[in-house]
Amino acid sequence: MSISCSDLSKTYEGGHAGWPALRGVSFEIKPGEFVAVTGPSGCGKSTLLNILGLLDEPSGGRYLLNGRSILEMSDGERSDFRRDELGFIFQSFNLLNRLPAADNVCLPMMYAGIPRAEMHHRAHELLAKVGLKGKEKKTPLELSGGERQRVAIARALANAPKILLADEPTGNLDSASSREIMDALLKLHAEGITVIMVTHDRELAARAQRNLRMKDGRLEE
Amino acid sequence: MTRELLNAAKTGLAEVRVHKMRSVLSFLAIAVGSVVFMDSFASIVAIQHRLREQERVSGIARLKIVQNNSLRFSTPDEYKPPPVFTYADVRDLRDRLPWLYMVSPEKRTGHNVFEYEGRRVVTTLAGVTPEWAKRNFVYTLKGRFLDWNDTENKLRVCVLVRRAVPPPPSRIARTKRKKPGYTSAFEVMVSHNDMLGKVVKIDNVTFTVVGILDELPPSRRPRLSLGGYQNYNVLAPVTTLTHFRFIREATSSLDVTIDAGRERDFDKAMKLIKNFLKTRFGDTDYFLIENQMGMLQEQMQKSIKAALMTISLGMLAFLAGGIGIMNVTLATVFARTKEIGIRRAVGANRGDIMLQFIVEAVMLGLIGGVLGSVLGYLWGVPVKVMLGMGASPIKPWMPVVSVFIAAFTAFVFAIYPAWLAAGMKPADALRTE
Repeated sequence: MSISCSDLSKTYEGGHAGWPALRGVSFEIKPGEFVAVTGPSGCGKSTLLNILGLLDEPSGGRYLLNGRSILEMSDGERSDFRRDELGFIFQSFNLLNRLPAADNVCLPMMYAGIPRAEMHHRAHELLAKVGLKGKEKKTPLELSGGERQRVAIARALANAPKILLADEPTGNLDSASSREIMDALLKLHAEGITVIMVTHDRELAARAQRNLRMKDGRLEE
Repeated sequence: MTRELLNAAKTGLAEVRVHKMRSVLSFLAIAVGSVVFMDSFASIVAIQHRLREQERVSGIARLKIVQNNSLRFSTPDEYKPPPVFTYADVRDLRDRLPWLYMVSPEKRTGHNVFEYEGRRVVTTLAGVTPEWAKRNFVYTLKGRFLDWNDTENKLRVCVLVRRAVPPPPSRIARTKRKKPGYTSAFEVMVSHNDMLGKVVKIDNVTFTVVGILDELPPSRRPRLSLGGYQNYNVLAPVTTLTHFRFIREATSSLDVTIDAGRERDFDKAMKLIKNFLKTRFGDTDYFLIENQMGMLQEQMQKSIKAALMTISLGMLAFLAGGIGIMNVTLATVFARTKEIGIRRAVGANRGDIMLQFIVEAVMLGLIGGVLGSVLGYLWGVPVKVMLGMGASPIKPWMPVVSVFIAAFTAFVFAIYPAWLAAGMKPADALRTE
């Protein structure tokens, strides 16, 4: 699944003329690439990732996902796309704390209408794959930071997405856990998944195939 | 879809557990509405039952012929004694209109001396025919009632009426100071002596008591629309009372209560009776025809208005409960904005988010409705009985409807908060802390 952005801009409302987070960003990502988006805080990395992940809309420019403009998609189609083709990993994990790990992993599958038994079987498989076998019934509050992020990775993989979007996935983790998460992402990339990772950690970014450096809402590549 | 509903319900239950106080307040808000609604339903059923009973016992297509006492004369010379409605007129009317359900003449006398075994008390007499028993018969009969043989042969027979024992005071009433009820000497005599088949004297004329009418106790007595509870003491054939000059035929006009039987025959009966009066007594309005059906319908309208008033109170209570649910759902939406973002990020569409919050609100409504139904039953039966108000007629469908309305109210009032939740942009929702 290819990604093509040209002259992408995003301006947040507020102030006299609004606050421009992205100013004419253009790039392409081929299927199966591992791309790291780096840059200082407030340079527009997360905004770009939100637009790429169909969580937000650009104010201008063109974003083609597999050749189709996202501006032509309805809200329902974007939801379906997020559910079936994209996986998200967030810095703050964004898990539902009252649900056990397995149920958190089941969430995307529930919206995809996968039968209950199959859903739970797959959730257990995915948790085992990320090294959390036996911790399916634990809630996120009973898990360590690294374990929570691994639950988030398992959830992101629930519907076998083609693109994985990771927003500072190691931002809240210690160095050992960070290494584990990075290894997991590389492993997924090796399986053919396109990975787009936002990070300010140069060491982690160096392990990606390609780096997109951002500054003040512009690309410095 | 079923699984989505179940999952939404599961999440809803988890929310109830997490936010206990908020949930309890929502349950209570909707439960109060449910209690008022149950009470309203019960009141309406009671009113309907009462109206049906009234119609069954008192009839509806009723009218009454009474002497017109408001005729005016310009000079004393113009005055001539007005004609009276006699038993012969009643018979003639009956013969002409045999299809009428009831033609019941009645004349009362006052201050008659009633004597039994040498003891004398003052009482009143009512001259009637067997048709008297066709309406407003709220008694149980011992012996027999007056029959046509008694009436046609002017037999000296009578039926005595025994008052019902007043209801025992409620626990609450017992604590208050009670005024003693008035009981006449005649009532005491009748209630303490079994006079069935005995000979009594009324103004020195001997009568045989052929029947005793025991008034139904208040709990079993239907409320009468018209002409009920006129404190009858002694009933005797109107012909006998006329023959023995208890009633002076030349001057005492009989009041005749007529029941056409069916509502649709009322106008026809009214027209024919007017014609009868005209042909028999001329153009002058010596007699008035009271349209009792109009009065009855007015009474029924009042009852229906009272029922509607009660139900509108119930609606108001549900409205208040609904606003409570809306408030709680709005608070939930804002408290769970991040969760909305997470759900949208993993693929939930707007419909899924709306469904989630609506199902949760409906669950609050359902639980509140069930709680309200239980409280409504407790209020309607044991508490009301304890307070001496009489149990509400609670039917099995009432809690079902009440729970359904509670859930429906919650559904309606959850639409706006759920719509707000569904309209949130995923990225904005995720940014919320």
